[in-house]
Amino acid sequence: MTMPTDAQKKIETYLTHLRGLLRGLDREDIEEIVEELRSHILDKAPVGGETSSASIDAALAALGSPKSLASEYVTENLLARAEVSRSPWRVLHILLRWATLSIAGFFMLLISIVGYFLGICFWLCAASKPFHPATAGLWAIPNSTGASELSLHLGFANAPVLGHEVLGWWIMPLGLISGGGLIILTTRLSLLCARQYCRSPRPWVS
Amino acid sequence: MVLDNNILCNALYVAVKDDARDKEASDKWEVQLRKGCLELAILAALWGGRLYGLEILRRLESDSDLIVSEGTVYPLLSRLKKLALVRSEWVESDAGHPRKYYALTAAGRHRAIEMSAVWTRFSSSMGKLLAPLGRGTK
Repeated sequence: MTMPTDAQKKIETYLTHLRGLLRGLDREDIEEIVEELRSHILDKAPVGGETSSASIDAALAALGSPKSLASEYVTENLLARAEVSRSPWRVLHILLRWATLSIAGFFMLLISIVGYFLGICFWLCAASKPFHPATAGLWAIPNSTGASELSLHLGFANAPVLGHEVLGWWIMPLGLISGGGLIILTTRLSLLCARQYCRSPRPWVS
Repeated sequence: MVLDNNILCNALYVAVKDDARDKEASDKWEVQLRKGCLELAILAALWGGRLYGLEILRRLESDSDLIVSEGTVYPLLSRLKKLALVRSEWVESDAGHPRKYYALTAAGRHRAIEMSAVWTRFSSSMGKLLAPLGRGTK
């Protein structure tokens, strides 16, 4: 079956645009998606056995714009990853993709970075206590208003002149538990929010 | 008289606006409902054997009331494949280009049976709850 050159050109333009928007997915996945859609367009376009420029237009319109289609692929990819991944590293990768899609994703990424950072700080503090018993730990330091501020110290610097250590050797078990808890909580919250986002209706989905 | 007309116009405007808002909320709910069912519908369409994308779309249109956009089904198939619920293979066709066929995996069959049981239970209990509404509209 022959196809008009302008019709072929339209298909290639659409698929090239889509390929560019899918950047970030695995290269193998992108090629598979593009070839599958090419096959779909070639199946869908013929009307009465004839493929014309107008019938290609109709087939491409039925698929939606490359932007909305790419967004659907990226979102479903995110959801698949969110359903199977548990590791913080993968969660951060998912959030990074989500952040490119929405403001909510950007804020969730910031919250997760803070959560993981605090969790790691608690672990490091607990781990450095045996090496810096006098300085590492959770310190209560008075500020200019007279109130106390809590501050985690890894023990590399001198002990704060004003203030006192709050937990002593208890920072070791409590730091490990708090750090682990924060990391687990951040992971669960991030995955929960990512799943909610992926399942929410988007304007181009009918 | 002018004041009366203004009040009438405002009342009509508010009524039309409320109707539009209700319609929008109802549409959103329907979109969510359809999207929620789509995964089960695709697994069910593949129950009888392997199909390629366009065949799945046609099966959904002919055997169910789901009007599904093509731009939704293909990305969803890609996710189901990533979750190992379906597998795919390229097959040469008489049309002159290869087609990507999807088939259920053992995990996909298991998930379809589970989802189908949940659906049957849910629709039966909702049916009981909604029965009085049906009588009310007659």
